[in-house]
Amino acid sequence: MPKLTKDNLEAYAKKAAAHKVKDVIRVGMSTCGIAAGAEEVYEVLKNEVRQRNLGIEIQKCGCSGKCYAEPLVEVIVKDLPAVVYGKVDKTFALAIVDRHVINGELLNDHIFDVQEANGDEK
Amino acid sequence: MKVILLKDTDGKDREGLFHDKVLDALQKEGISDKWKLVRVVDIGIYNRGVALKILPAGFTYTDLTEEDIPGIVRKSIKEGKEIKEKISSVKDKQVKIVLRNCGVIDPENIESYLETGGYQGLKKVLFEYKPEESIEELKISGLRGRGGGGFPLWMKWNFARKTRSDEKYVICNGDEGDPGAYMDRSVLEGDPHSVLEGMLVAGYLVGAQKGYFYIRAEYPLAISRVQKAVDDAQEYGLLGNNILGSDFSFSIEIRLGAGAFVCGEETALIASIEGKRGYPSPRPPYPSVKGLWGRPTVINNVETLANVPVIFTKGGKWFSKIGSPTSKGTKVFALTGKIKNSGLVEVPMGITLREIIYDIGGGMLNSYDIKAVQTGGPSGGVISKEHLDTPVDYENLQKLGSIMGSGGMIVIDESDCMVDLAKFYMNFCVDESCGKCAPCRIGTTQMLEYLDSISKGKASQEDIAKLKKIAAAVKKASLCGLGQTAPNPVLSTLRYFEEEYLEHIRDKKCRAGKCKELLEYTIIQEKCRRCSLCFRNCPVSAISGNNKEGFVIDNEKCIKCGNCFEVCKFEAISRG
Repeated sequence: MPKLTKDNLEAYAKKAAAHKVKDVIRVGMSTCGIAAGAEEVYEVLKNEVRQRNLGIEIQKCGCSGKCYAEPLVEVIVKDLPAVVYGKVDKTFALAIVDRHVINGELLNDHIFDVQEANGDEK
Repeated sequence: MKVILLKDTDGKDREGLFHDKVLDALQKEGISDKWKLVRVVDIGIYNRGVALKILPAGFTYTDLTEEDIPGIVRKSIKEGKEIKEKISSVKDKQVKIVLRNCGVIDPENIESYLETGGYQGLKKVLFEYKPEESIEELKISGLRGRGGGGFPLWMKWNFARKTRSDEKYVICNGDEGDPGAYMDRSVLEGDPHSVLEGMLVAGYLVGAQKGYFYIRAEYPLAISRVQKAVDDAQEYGLLGNNILGSDFSFSIEIRLGAGAFVCGEETALIASIEGKRGYPSPRPPYPSVKGLWGRPTVINNVETLANVPVIFTKGGKWFSKIGSPTSKGTKVFALTGKIKNSGLVEVPMGITLREIIYDIGGGMLNSYDIKAVQTGGPSGGVISKEHLDTPVDYENLQKLGSIMGSGGMIVIDESDCMVDLAKFYMNFCVDESCGKCAPCRIGTTQMLEYLDSISKGKASQEDIAKLKKIAAAVKKASLCGLGQTAPNPVLSTLRYFEEEYLEHIRDKKCRAGKCKELLEYTIIQEKCRRCSLCFRNCPVSAISGNNKEGFVIDNEKCIKCGNCFEVCKFEAISRG
């Protein structure tokens, strides 16, 4: 890895400005999430996405603050708002892949946060 | 995508009535194929009945009745117009600066931080501003230390900057020890690079070449993520020699705290890094003049440092617009205790406690009423419910006898005993007092003894006066912050809840039912149905009798565990 310079960093800034939101599933993996079972959920999601060849990124992230609802899984896919599912277990993680990612449905009774529609502005 | 969010979980729509009603209305209007309806648990609206939010328009309606549904579906959903008289003004009260990346970026991947504009603040400081201009920017921002003291950051850095020395140091204080507080852990685990960037800026501005992360050993995940961040930064040339091609060089080492609360105090922390016993020393000289190995040292809390990059990317002026007149920016609180949504909240300074508890925290956890809020951990105090509308900032909390502290916020309800609470914190301070100075070592033990005898109903009224006297002495004569603030929980509970102390002493009663020695369990024979449930659940066989003649509790044997009280289905056990 060559060392970053001032100009490289500028390139990152430009990239950030033009940053298009990719499809991603984020799993909250701070101490609070892990204590609630996020590692298992992360593994299940990772396996499922690999086995089905879905090409969606599974990303670890920190704690968003809603510790009472851990494990938290945020799903950002095209044409749907960014949705944060809470109290996710193994079975529900599979439902997220099956119904949200593949079928484009939103799942009842597990949503703890919704960000404005993703993909509409672009 | 068009989405309708329905929040019906306040218990008002158990049968899915509203859900079906909305679906029906959508079908009637012939638009059910264009809209997705989903039942959500939480959209940041609490205690306002059934709520609907329509995306992407963003219209939110609360306190809905079934009659409202057809109108909303026709006008707001089909025609896309807002119904002004019904629209809700509920807004998200959180402002995320410190937690801006937590839950968004991958903390183990430096690219993830760089792609969200990471290290741009450092770039500005290195190449665009003169150091004096950078300090000026910090002054404009009004950022004050978030570790508890609230000292203006620019002054601290300027002292260290102006002190001449062959070497200077920067320390990040990640020795978060307050019971119930974990903001720093979350920031270190969720966004370590922003803290690192803050340290680099500090290093450049004060002229230091070496930094230390002091993190408590109980945070293994935080440690491994910070280590990864340091390694990655090294690889990318953000640490080491000639950072980003400038003539600034900086390196960082991680030191682990072995779990002593006193090491969160800056002079004790410095002693600990030096390899000495974690004893505090008198100030002045302050560390910014004479700190680590006798050299000028800037020591800042995790949260403070995480604020720094944003001040440079968005500007000090932008930062100073957030918050209250004396306290700028935001504060992260670890909201815990008897609250529905326990977790981290980041709010602008000047928000009221009521807003934090009811609009963000979702209200009380159980059916009990709120009694008080504890802030600042063992160094802080309680704030009674009469003061919930006070704007939260450094000065106001101090006036109320508590402190902002590092950001623990524990919500206390009527089922909690204030004497018990004071005892808990005093116990903690006795354990954690390092023992160097007598006022703290002896004073805290003395206070604990008084509290203990009050909780056992063995104290006299004069003891409260004695307790206050010792508290004042410990506050005044202790060497470091630990001792100087240790009496705060006692003093503040006495300030607002002296009556409760007196009840323990005079009436030998604990109204919350927490002080076991004052409790007596008896079976109310008129209510008892002789089901024998209590008899079977008593762990020490203190309940005797049979299904025909009824049961009695032998108070000699009773250990006051409360099992019988909990299991009785007929409220036939009295506690008091």
